[in-house]
Amino acid sequence: MAMDTSQLLKGVLDLAVLAVLRDTDGYGYDVLRRLRAAGLEDVADASVYGTLRRLFAAGALTSYVQPSEEGPHRKYYGLNKTGLDLLAQSTKTWNHFADTMSVLLQEEAA
Amino acid sequence: MNSTLTGAVATYLAQVRAELSDLPPGELEEVLDDVAGHLTEVAAELGQAPTATGLQERLGTPSQYADELRRAAGYPPPRRVPADNKAAGLALRWGLIASTVGPFFLVIALLGRGRDVSAFFGLVGLTALVVSAHLGVKALRGQSPRIVLDTPRGASTAAAIRESIDQIPPNVRRELVTIGQPVWWVARGAVGGASFFAVFGANAVTVVGALAGAAVSIWIGRRTQQDARWLWYVVPLNLVAAIIVPAWLAASFVGGPSGIFNNYTASRGSSSSSYNPPSGLLLDGVSVSNIYPFDEQGRPVHVRLYNQDGQPINLERQDCAMQSGNPPQNELSNYFPLVTVQDDPNPTVDADGVAICKDTDKAPFVPPPAPATPTTPSPTPANSVTPTPHPSAKPSATPKPGATLTVPPTR
Repeated sequence: MAMDTSQLLKGVLDLAVLAVLRDTDGYGYDVLRRLRAAGLEDVADASVYGTLRRLFAAGALTSYVQPSEEGPHRKYYGLNKTGLDLLAQSTKTWNHFADTMSVLLQEEAA
Repeated sequence: MNSTLTGAVATYLAQVRAELSDLPPGELEEVLDDVAGHLTEVAAELGQAPTATGLQERLGTPSQYADELRRAAGYPPPRRVPADNKAAGLALRWGLIASTVGPFFLVIALLGRGRDVSAFFGLVGLTALVVSAHLGVKALRGQSPRIVLDTPRGASTAAAIRESIDQIPPNVRRELVTIGQPVWWVARGAVGGASFFAVFGANAVTVVGALAGAAVSIWIGRRTQQDARWLWYVVPLNLVAAIIVPAWLAASFVGGPSGIFNNYTASRGSSSSSYNPPSGLLLDGVSVSNIYPFDEQGRPVHVRLYNQDGQPINLERQDCAMQSGNPPQNELSNYFPLVTVQDDPNPTVDADGVAICKDTDKAPFVPPPAPATPTTPSPTPANSVTPTPHPSAKPSATPKPGATLTVPPTR
């Protein structure tokens, strides 16, 4: 069975969202666009919004409303201390996991 | 910000809201704020007025969208409210009362004869409908209207309706929704608005009522798509409209109407209603009480007048006989000029000293010079007869005192 990116995404969406918010705060659609621009085209719209709400509920994100020139106000999300810690920790976990997988796959290929 | 959304986007948002209605209110508003922003962006990408289909192709059905959101956000799975069957049953029962009692009286009001009867039953029906619909919505106690579908009766009704809808081929179904729905919204609103003003006694503004009704109806249709609680009011009103709209159409085609449809004409001549148009002959809204015909030479003539259908143009007689204690049987005449009572400064008195009434058919004015319009197309202007006006010409018929019409006036 071929591997499906959308299946993989489910496990790492938190990390991906935290990553695109690391440097600049963004509203929901911003986050979605940044993920797509980074190459995660398969990400489902609703799941990004859900993830933002969950990270916010977990205390990893701040949220504030800003009026926009083009119309209604927008709710921005940004990383707070907890979010930055979570990002660092998750990055470590991911790297470790990715390294393990890479080694595993290289061994298999060799 | 939700208020800025319109059309398919607003409907989509409302459906997502309904799917997530079990969330705590605060979180629900927060997440819907995000969803509204999302939908706005997507709508902007799709173009000015995205369709429901366009949105679904991009985002999935509202239910799929809500499920995905729920999973990613870690919300608990939707509660399938099993408990409150009692509230649902009550809401459903009030809905049924609203859709039976209300329409029953309203249809009586709209098809019944007589303005007072119509207004009475209209009021009763409307009150019954609104009160029971209100109680039905209240019985939900803030829960989703969907809970009525969990009751046995609600479920079986929904299944029956779905089954009959399935009988319609899908393409016809789509046509019905895209074309039939707006037409129906306008028709029910126009007829409803016009009926409302007709029943409650303002015939003059029925056209305005129809236009306003159509607008209100479209608005209600939109609202109902977003908030199913409106169904408690809309279903009974739709039932009334389903009866009244065909009746209205039939009345306007056949012309043999009943009830409010002919109140306007039926009330003519009766003094009970204050909405009668003035009776008699009108010219540009001004009452015409008599007609004084003159021939080409400006001589007074007597004529009988008929309209385009051969109906005599009758006016009320104004002669001495009408003024006497016992007016003649035939009070109308189309024989012009109508004989009028002579205004005599020195009235002849009878033996008892009572002034004798005298009739006259003399015009109370001097006829203006006849215009030089050729009566027959005469190409040679030299030949044209210029009628010499005789403004001072004595009317050939000298008024005979006490003269009455020898010819029976109309027949």
